[in-house]
Amino acid sequence: MEVELEEIRDFFARRPPFEALPAEWLDRLPEWVEIRYLRRGSPFPPEGGEPRLFVVRTGAVALFDRHGHLSEKLGEGDLYAGQCVDLAVERAGGGEAIEDVLLYEIPCQRIRWLRERSEAFGRHFTADLRERLKQALGLVQGSDEGALPYLWVALREVLHRPPVSVDTGASIQEAARRMTTERVSSVLVVHGGRLVGLVTDSDLRRRCVAEGVPVDRPVREIMTPEPHTIGPEATLMEALALMTRLRVHHLPVVEEDGRLLGMFSTSDVARMQSAHPAYLVSDIAKARDVAELAWICERLPRLQAQLVAASASARQVGEVISCITDALTVRLLALAEQALGPAPVEYVWVVGGSQSRREQSVHSDQDNALILADAYEASAHGAYFEALARRVSDGLQACGFPYCPGDAMATNPQWRQPLSVWRDYFRRWIETPEPKALMLSCIFFDLRPVHGTTALFEALQQDVLARSPGNSIFLAHMVANALTHRPPLGFFRHFVLIHDGEHDDTLDLKHRGTVPVVDMARIYALAHGLPVVGTVERLRAAAERGALSREMAENLEDAFEFIANLRLRHQAAQIRRGVPPDNYVRPAELSELERRHLKDAFAVIQTLQETLARRYQVHALT
Amino acid sequence: MLERLFGLERKRRRALDQCPQGPLRDYLAVAPPAPATELEAVEIVSLDLETTGLDPHRDHILSMGWVVVRGLRVRLGSAERHMLRIADPVPAEAAALHGITDDRAACGEALEVVLPRLLQVLAGRVLLAHYARLELRFLDAACRRCYGGPFLARSIDTLILAHRVLERRNHTIQTGDLRLFALSRRFGLPTYKAHDALYDALATAELFLALAADIAPRPPRPLKWFLAGGRA
Repeated sequence: MEVELEEIRDFFARRPPFEALPAEWLDRLPEWVEIRYLRRGSPFPPEGGEPRLFVVRTGAVALFDRHGHLSEKLGEGDLYAGQCVDLAVERAGGGEAIEDVLLYEIPCQRIRWLRERSEAFGRHFTADLRERLKQALGLVQGSDEGALPYLWVALREVLHRPPVSVDTGASIQEAARRMTTERVSSVLVVHGGRLVGLVTDSDLRRRCVAEGVPVDRPVREIMTPEPHTIGPEATLMEALALMTRLRVHHLPVVEEDGRLLGMFSTSDVARMQSAHPAYLVSDIAKARDVAELAWICERLPRLQAQLVAASASARQVGEVISCITDALTVRLLALAEQALGPAPVEYVWVVGGSQSRREQSVHSDQDNALILADAYEASAHGAYFEALARRVSDGLQACGFPYCPGDAMATNPQWRQPLSVWRDYFRRWIETPEPKALMLSCIFFDLRPVHGTTALFEALQQDVLARSPGNSIFLAHMVANALTHRPPLGFFRHFVLIHDGEHDDTLDLKHRGTVPVVDMARIYALAHGLPVVGTVERLRAAAERGALSREMAENLEDAFEFIANLRLRHQAAQIRRGVPPDNYVRPAELSELERRHLKDAFAVIQTLQETLARRYQVHALT
Repeated sequence: MLERLFGLERKRRRALDQCPQGPLRDYLAVAPPAPATELEAVEIVSLDLETTGLDPHRDHILSMGWVVVRGLRVRLGSAERHMLRIADPVPAEAAALHGITDDRAACGEALEVVLPRLLQVLAGRVLLAHYARLELRFLDAACRRCYGGPFLARSIDTLILAHRVLERRNHTIQTGDLRLFALSRRFGLPTYKAHDALYDALATAELFLALAADIAPRPPRPLKWFLAGGRA
């Protein structure tokens, strides 16, 4: 029986994606609708039944990410497709009705039926290539670019320095001096490595100065004995709750086996509330030796995972991690100069690869080089710069950035040369290109100065950007090089045949996904003399010059971001599981929709690769 | 309360014994849900009748609209709307109110066709209406006229429930506060422009969900907490 429910129909007819439906399907829509009432505070989506699409009719719903961080608010007419669209499930940490809600529900099966019949309607769920990628990005990242969900961070992540402690036998004055030199407001009192007490600034004031206790008395006389402690896995939230209850400002953090890990204080909350990575950078700048730097950097993998969990994009994460590595490099150079004395000639420390492009993730290999002033003489200055390079490179390794397997590091004498030699290198690479040499040297086309005399780098860069644009043989070789990494479109044909997770094939998201885009962006930069290094910046600058259509540049940017985000999330999941992160994704890890988006992204990359191959007549080289 | 509920069951059995073969007998043969049944497991038919007046013996049913609530979800797919054919001219007041003209009333369905359909839908279910007394009395009169037996049903009345909820919230209840439209608005529910039996049935169903959530947000919430009593 056909029953007219015009007001329900019109409610849908006014809203995307339903507005795209032809009248005949709109008329049928109401009969598939079920109406539910959710009282404020009820969980969302409501449990039970088949997967459904939800539309808020009246009231409001808040959605949270996995950390309980508000990610989206749904109001009247807003739609939640989380159960109908695979990709959205990932971010669905659930939600809650924040007002009384009248909810319309339509089974996903019906939505699928409509999608199959109405192209325009379906597009909302799988819009055209570009929109789909954009949408996928939105879904992968979540919609909120807000702050870190710092309240849910484990204390282990918050501790920013090793514990400052004195022995029970120490005098009050010794304790106070220690606090002054360490610039802390409290000191832990230990006996045989075990925590026995705590002394704070206010203890010194109230129990010592105010009471007239001589400062040579043992510190145990004024300490708070057996203070309350907290475990490292407790969240910041739990620590704050405990501190509020106990009315204390300091909580020693103690491992289960009694090992003292550090001190958590209310000032750490401020630290967490502000941009955490920024504090990390300032901690790095203050670190006194490699051991301390290594200790700080132990938190990097977790920081990256947190950033991902907090919906940061690959681009944002890349910038944060690169910024930290820059700070680390600068600090290591300063420490090296402290130990070795000032440099005998001017130099600039340059970085290549992902750090240079600001696309770094933790566990990226280090790529670096030294450009020395032409006043350099190997016999007189060689030992100094070798030692400098060694210290920095070893320091980076100690901090979790492994040596470059291709030996593209300043420790390699080949990459520790005066400017004139570097000019020769680039002249040779550009004017008489050899495929093999180019493959090894391509990271040097992404150089960025981090510390030292920037003018040395600028001179070199100007040279390169002046030489490369007109040199079509060089560019053709670069293109040929870039084409060695092809997106694995065949992978999907294979995959669709095998529906279970039985096969061991994995997908290398780096070499088959992001690297081809990085390579192509580099070619555009070299072909058009663009001084920028970041992949996205290069694509944008190329579009600006008209070297690349704006649409293509945007598609490629979206494809790059999508693959980079997938890779990042894959790595974040590995870090959470305690597995070393890699680039190999098993198809079973991907949702149906992610696979579709990935395929689109690969198709975009392939299209541009073919365009470049034609333009530079790469076939002529082989 | 209990006696009243069990009284309904006794009445139903007696009526069943005396009722001749036909739609009413078929309806009475199915026991309504027991008062202890969890509300979620109860199937409810939200019904609205539009009539030419308030006297079931003199006035006529102009139209009927209903929708089923199952698992505390309104199933719009079950919605039905029936315009009834009546011989007498529609009184001007009712015509203006319901937008039903003599022409339309004349080409509607016959009560003898719609009533069996409604009884079929109501069998084994609970009747829900705003001021259910009216629906119960009109259906009782119709059944007696058509089938020579009484209409008996468990019923839920949103007017009674709303009164209870507002009283509990210490609201002074004023004239008009308990009207369906006013209540829908008060509970933040959609208000429908069309004055029509089906939209009223739908609004009643939505109001009921809101009231039920207010009275008992989560199980246990046995049906008996919501019943208006079994009197026809």
